[in-house]
Amino acid sequence: MLSERLQLKLYLEPSPHFELEALIPVFHRFIREQLIKELMIDVVDYSHVPAGPGVVLIGHAADFYVGELDGAFGLVYSRKRGGPGPEGRLEDALRRLVNTARLLEQESSVKLRFKSGELGLRLTDRLHAPNDDATFASTKAEIETLFGRIYGGDVAVERVVAAKEPLSVRIKANGSPSLEALLEKLGGPPEAAS
Amino acid sequence: MTVATTWKQKLAGQVREDWAREIDIFETQIDLRKKGKVEEKLFAETRLRRGTYGQRYDNGQRHDGEKTQTLPFPSGELTKGPVTMWDAPGMQRIKIPYGKLTAEQLDTLSELAEEYSDQILHITTRQDIQLHFIHIEDTPDLMRRLAAAGITTREACGNTVRNVTACPYAGVCNTESFDVIPYANALTFFLLGHPDTQDFGRKFKIAFSGCKDEPCGLTNFHDAGAIARTRTVNGEVKRGFEYYVGGGLGAVPYPATLFDEFLPEEELLPITQAVCRVFARLGERDNRARARLKFVVKKLGIEEFKRLVLEERAKLRQDERWVSFLNDLHVTDEKPLKPGSELAPGSYPAGFEAWRKTNVLPQSQKGYSTAKVTLPLGDFTPAQGRLMAELARRFTGDSMRATVEQNMLFRWVPNADLPAFYRELAQAGLGSAGADHITDVTSCPGTDTCKLGISSSRGLATELHKQLSVISDQLDPAAQGLHIKCSGCSNSCGQHHVADMGFLGVSRNVNGRRVPHFQLVIGGQYKNNAGSYGLAIGAIPSKHVPKAVKTLMDRFVAEKQPEETFQAFVARIGKKEIRKLVDQLSAIPSYEQDPSYYSDWGDPREYTIGDLGVGECAGEVVPLVQVGLADSERELFEAQLLLDEGSSDSAAARAFSAMVLAAQALTREKNSFLGEGVDEIVSEFRAHYYDTKLFFDPFAGGKFAHYFFRAYEHRGEAGGSKEGAHQLIEEAQLFVEAAHQCYTRIAGALP
Repeated sequence: MLSERLQLKLYLEPSPHFELEALIPVFHRFIREQLIKELMIDVVDYSHVPAGPGVVLIGHAADFYVGELDGAFGLVYSRKRGGPGPEGRLEDALRRLVNTARLLEQESSVKLRFKSGELGLRLTDRLHAPNDDATFASTKAEIETLFGRIYGGDVAVERVVAAKEPLSVRIKANGSPSLEALLEKLGGPPEAAS
Repeated sequence: MTVATTWKQKLAGQVREDWAREIDIFETQIDLRKKGKVEEKLFAETRLRRGTYGQRYDNGQRHDGEKTQTLPFPSGELTKGPVTMWDAPGMQRIKIPYGKLTAEQLDTLSELAEEYSDQILHITTRQDIQLHFIHIEDTPDLMRRLAAAGITTREACGNTVRNVTACPYAGVCNTESFDVIPYANALTFFLLGHPDTQDFGRKFKIAFSGCKDEPCGLTNFHDAGAIARTRTVNGEVKRGFEYYVGGGLGAVPYPATLFDEFLPEEELLPITQAVCRVFARLGERDNRARARLKFVVKKLGIEEFKRLVLEERAKLRQDERWVSFLNDLHVTDEKPLKPGSELAPGSYPAGFEAWRKTNVLPQSQKGYSTAKVTLPLGDFTPAQGRLMAELARRFTGDSMRATVEQNMLFRWVPNADLPAFYRELAQAGLGSAGADHITDVTSCPGTDTCKLGISSSRGLATELHKQLSVISDQLDPAAQGLHIKCSGCSNSCGQHHVADMGFLGVSRNVNGRRVPHFQLVIGGQYKNNAGSYGLAIGAIPSKHVPKAVKTLMDRFVAEKQPEETFQAFVARIGKKEIRKLVDQLSAIPSYEQDPSYYSDWGDPREYTIGDLGVGECAGEVVPLVQVGLADSERELFEAQLLLDEGSSDSAAARAFSAMVLAAQALTREKNSFLGEGVDEIVSEFRAHYYDTKLFFDPFAGGKFAHYFFRAYEHRGEAGGSKEGAHQLIEEAQLFVEAAHQCYTRIAGALP
C-alpha cells in the first residue's frame, strides 16, 4: 500500500447505551496508563460536530477516533506518518485498530461492541493514492489477500463512490470472529510504533 | 508521462511564481533547521510568519491528571522554536482575507483537513481558518496546495499585519455606505510582504465596516479600523473612511481613537502605510505585553500620533498602488449565479421556518437573501466543507464568507431556493437555527490546543450551547438575541469584552486545590462596531457558569424595560447587584463531596495550570537585518545545491542574489525607503558602507565588498563554467560573512 496515510474503521453495533462523551475519560486513561503502544498525546472532543470525528485520541503517528464521519459510528485508526513499509502497512493498521477496539470492548463504562467482520478503509493521500480505478484495483487485491488470510475465506470489497473524497472501500469479511481471535491471527498486541 | 511523486511536481505551473518561491524557501529553512544551521528563535519567527504555530504540550510535557508525562517525540531534542519540540503537533492558521472563500478553496481546505489534520476545519474569530495537529514537515505541501487555490498563509501569525477582516455583508448590506471589499482587498495585498510591515514588535490588525451602527466589522478594537463614509463635495459624492487607530482587546482592552473623521479613499493605503512605519519605529519591543499600537497611541496622545503619521506620510515614496485600484472598484464584485426570485408559499421542510427566522436576511438586491450556516464552535468536517462548496456551485456562486461569529455566510441565495438550500444543509447536520443568537456561543480554542489557555473555553461553550439549545424555543426573544463569548485566558481571542455575557478563563485556589473558574465580563456592547467593553465582575467556578447565565438571562427577561438592551439593563441595576449573583455561585463542594468541580468542562483530568506554555502569539522579535542575513545564507545554500546538480549559471545567479540580500539587509538600516531594485541596492550599499568604510574588514579592508561589485558588473553573463560558479559562491560566502561581522560591529552585539 503506497499510501502512508490511511484510515481503517471498525463499525460499532448500534446500542441505546452509547454515549460519545463517555469515551473522553477512557481515552485520557489510555494516555495515562500508556495502554496503546504508540505515542498518544491528547484527547479532543468534537461530539458537538454533527457527523464528525466524535472523540479523538491524538497521537504522533496515528489518531484514533470514535465518530461517524461516513455516516455510521465506529472506531477509526488514522495513520498519519511513519510505520512499516508499503507491504506491511495495511496489516499493521489492522492490528492496531483491532487491539484498540478490544481495549474499548473491555471498558465497562462505555459498553461498546464492534462488528468485527465489517470495516471501512480510506486512503487519505491523494498524491500517492488518487481516487481512481488503478488505486482501487491494487487496494482491492491487497485487501483480499490480507483479509483472506486473517479472516479465512472470501472477502467482499466494495468501492464507495463519492466525488472528491479520498478512495474509500467497504470490506465485508467472512464471518465475525472475536477481536481476540483476530488479534491472535495478527500476531498479538502491537509493539511500540516507530 | 512522468507521474508526479511530490506535490511540488504535481502543482508545477499552478502556483504563482513568487508564492512558489516563498514556499520553497520555507521548505529549505525546515531542512536547514533539521541540520542545525538555523537558530531556533529565527526559525520560530520564520514559521510564525507563515502561520505555522505551536500548540499546547509542544514543550514535550503533558499533565495526565496525576503527573506530568514527558512526550517522547522521535526527533529527540530537535526544536522548531524556543521550548517547542520539532515533532509536536502544531496549528496552521490560514488567512482568508475578509473571510471570502470560493468553492475551489473550500474543497482544497477540506482535503487538507482530511490528510494533514484531525478531520476538522475551524473558523476563527478573525475570519481565518485553522487546522490543528499539523506536523511541521507537512506544512510546505499544505501551503503549496493552498497556493494553487489562491491562498497564501504568509503573515498569518507573528509580528505582522494579520488577516484583514471586513463585514461579511459588504456589498449586499442594506445599511452600508458603500462596499468596502475593494478597499479591504487592496489594502490586504498592498501590505502583504511590504517592507514597512516586516519590522513590527507585535501584531497589527485591521478591520473594515460598511456602516457605523452594526457590529459586523468590529472596528473599535482594531489597530486600524475603517468605517465607510461618503461626503458630498461640490455636488459630487466622495468616498472615504472614518478612520480609527489604536484599538485592541488583550488583557486590557483599548477602544480605538478617531484619527480622521473623513479619510479620503485615495489616502487609505498611504496613511495606513505611514501608521505602520510609525508603529515599527516607536512600538515597544522589549516588553511584549506593551508592544501593541494601542500603547503607542496612548503614550503619545492622538494629536502627536497623528502629527507623526502625517510627517511620515509626507516622506513616503510615491506608490501607484495607492490609487490604481480605484480605477476598477468592481473587480471584487460578485455576480449571482441565478436570477433573483421570491419565496413561493407552500409547505417547507421541517425546521425551515425557525432557521429562516434566525439565519436568513434579505439582501439589498431584490430577490436575494443571505443565509448563514450555523457551525457549532466554528467547526465543520471535510464532508461538510465539500457540501458547502457544492451549494455555492449550485445556488450562489463563489460568495461564501467566514464570519467572526465562526459561522459561514452564503450571499446571493435566490429566495425561491431557500427551502432547497436549507434541505441540503439539514441533511448534512448543518441546518441548525440560532446563528449569532444566544445558543451560538463564540469561543477561542482555549485549553484544547492553546498554550496560554487557563480554563476550557470550548468546553464551557459546548456545555452552554447544549443547555441553551434545549430551552431556546421557549426563550424570550430578548434573551435569544444575547451574545455569549468565551476566552480561555485574558488575551481575549474569544472577544469576551464585547459580549453581553463574556467569560474569560482564570484559576482559583479553593481548599488547597486549583479549580477552573471564569471571570464574568458584563456590560460590553457588540453593536456600533464593538462600541464599548465590559468589565469583569467576579470569578465563577466553571461548573456554575451555565447556572449564572440562566439566572442573569431570566432576570433580564423578567425585569427589563421596553426596548431596553442588556447593556442598559446592567447599567440600570448596577454591577453590585450582579456581583451578588457571582458571590452566590462562588462556593463549591469539597473535593471529597464532588470532585467534578475540580476538573474542567470536557476534560476529566484533575485541573491544573501546569500545562501552560510560552505563547507564540507575540512572535519572536528578530531584527530585520538578521532576517535578511538568514535569507542570504539560505540563498547560498541553494546556490550550492544548484552547483551540485550541474546548473552552473543558476548557481552563479543564486550566489549573486545572496550577496544582494545581505547588502540590502544592511543598507535598510541606513535607508528605510530602500527598494528592491538591484541597481539601487548596490548604489546605496556603496554610499553607506563602502565609501564610509563601515563595511571594511579590519584586516582585509574592502576586499569582500569588491567581490560584490564585481559580481554586479558581470551579473547575467551566461555560459559560465562550473569553476567560475564555484568561485562566485566562495566569494559570496565571504561577502555574507563580512556582512554578519559588519552588523555585529554596528549593532554592538558582541565585543
